[in-house]
Amino acid sequence: MKINTWFGILEIGSKGEVLASDPFPKNIRELALRSLSLRESRQNLPPEGFDLKAAALECKFVESPSEYYSLLHEVTLDAAKIQVSEALTPDQRIVQAVEALDDINETTNSLSERLFEWYGGYFPECGLNGEALALFIVKYGSRENVVPDDPLYLKARDSMGAKLEAADEALLKCFAESVCSLYERRKQIEAYIESSMENLAPNLAITAGPMLGARLISIAGSLEKLAAFPSSTIQVIGASKALFKHLRERAPSPKHGVIYSHPLINTSPWWMRGKIARALAAKLSLAARIDFYSGKRDSSLPEKLEEKIQKIRALNPRPPQKRPESGAKPKKKRRK
Amino acid sequence: MPDVRTLSDGIFEVTKGKKQLATKNLDPGKTVYGEKLIPVEGIEYRTWDPRRSKLGAMVLKKFNIPLKEDSKVLYLGAASGTTVSHVSDIVSEGAVYAVEFAPRSMRDFIGLASRRKNIIPILADAGKPASYAHIVEPVDLIFQDVAQPNQAEIAARNAARFLTKGGYLMLSIKARSIDTAANPKEVFTEEVKKLEQAFEPRFEILTARDLMPYHEDHLGVLAKLKE
Repeated sequence: MKINTWFGILEIGSKGEVLASDPFPKNIRELALRSLSLRESRQNLPPEGFDLKAAALECKFVESPSEYYSLLHEVTLDAAKIQVSEALTPDQRIVQAVEALDDINETTNSLSERLFEWYGGYFPECGLNGEALALFIVKYGSRENVVPDDPLYLKARDSMGAKLEAADEALLKCFAESVCSLYERRKQIEAYIESSMENLAPNLAITAGPMLGARLISIAGSLEKLAAFPSSTIQVIGASKALFKHLRERAPSPKHGVIYSHPLINTSPWWMRGKIARALAAKLSLAARIDFYSGKRDSSLPEKLEEKIQKIRALNPRPPQKRPESGAKPKKKRRK
Repeated sequence: MPDVRTLSDGIFEVTKGKKQLATKNLDPGKTVYGEKLIPVEGIEYRTWDPRRSKLGAMVLKKFNIPLKEDSKVLYLGAASGTTVSHVSDIVSEGAVYAVEFAPRSMRDFIGLASRRKNIIPILADAGKPASYAHIVEPVDLIFQDVAQPNQAEIAARNAARFLTKGGYLMLSIKARSIDTAANPKEVFTEEVKKLEQAFEPRFEILTARDLMPYHEDHLGVLAKLKE
């Protein structure tokens, strides 16, 4: 019977003895590529318990066990390197970008707050925060520099804030510049995610919105994994704490995870949100599957979603009656 | 002078101030994950943190560790190689076939594997042993740390293909990755039963102990093929 091994093709007998052999040339890269090509082959597998090293020695592919291991080590290492470099697919770049965006958001928020506190001592009346405040400080520094045609001129002139010394002013201006550049970077990453999502997952981008779609891919780990998730999982992605609390204890089940940020859900009245989340999740999972497996744009998806949402709205015009507290039935504890 | 006591082939207890688990460093001068290096009479020992390694915890839990200098090991779930590095120290004349599924972990692992000649890195799914059947020879020990819900089945499939007759299986079962909501004790009983009966080949359990206080809700198991 013919078998494939990493070092060559062998013809073996019923007891595993080598009858004929066709060893490959000892070229590391070639052997690595051959080894990778054998991963998916279901045919000509070595029989269970077959001793590859003994066979390699028998057919004179190598002289000694130590040569066998040293060659195998080089080949598998090279193969693993090839696989690792191939692993950085476009969806992995989106995942990195989403995580970078989260880091930037966290950092800009805390730095902006610091800037607000710090500058507040010198011009508490300015009424600015975030990016606007950072831009203002970069532009003027001390409130004494505000020009008369700026809307904040009067407030700056009559401010109760302390006088800003030159050294502090220089420091604050540089600090504000850093904050501004972080805001810039945030816009850049958002633009990158939006355009990448258009290419990689157009259906998901149009159904979920590019940012939410990217976030779903990021939490799932890859587009492939997201496409494999059932829609009920997609519905509660990002609410794992609430979900496990529900599974372990007697907490209510979460209705939505990160998909809450979708305008269809967060602008709907509370009693429809669970139903809409379910409908949306169903369509998102379809969108992810189309994107992963065919890549074609399917314009009927948003229409069908809209139809379904209209139905839900028509069927549930009024909030349900809240059950009286006393009538709440005792829930069974799930844990055995 | 630190005191060295042998616990098992290639596994030592080095006392320098306090008792520490250690192996002889196969890659002298280098550390892998921030562990300490202790030279004693020209031999460099590398301390082994049982809190970061289930195998390390199993040593301290008095498991019999069936490893010798020339053992061949199939290690499923190599991650970034913390434990594999110690196995590589122990089987200095043998080989460790280290299977890992995540490219991200493999990226870290490759640096380690390239410096240690007895490590054979394999980026593959441990649930599909056929995908590395053209690489792996019969082994004396399969160590499994994969934290998958079907880990008993994975162990059996790999044992069928790669474990020699008198070979051993060691694995750690993480209750939370089998069933997040169930009681860990019940999960353990269930999984041990699966190893004994559910798949071919069947295993005979030699030791099964929890890995407290080093790992919470983990069960360490040493088994061999049922005759």
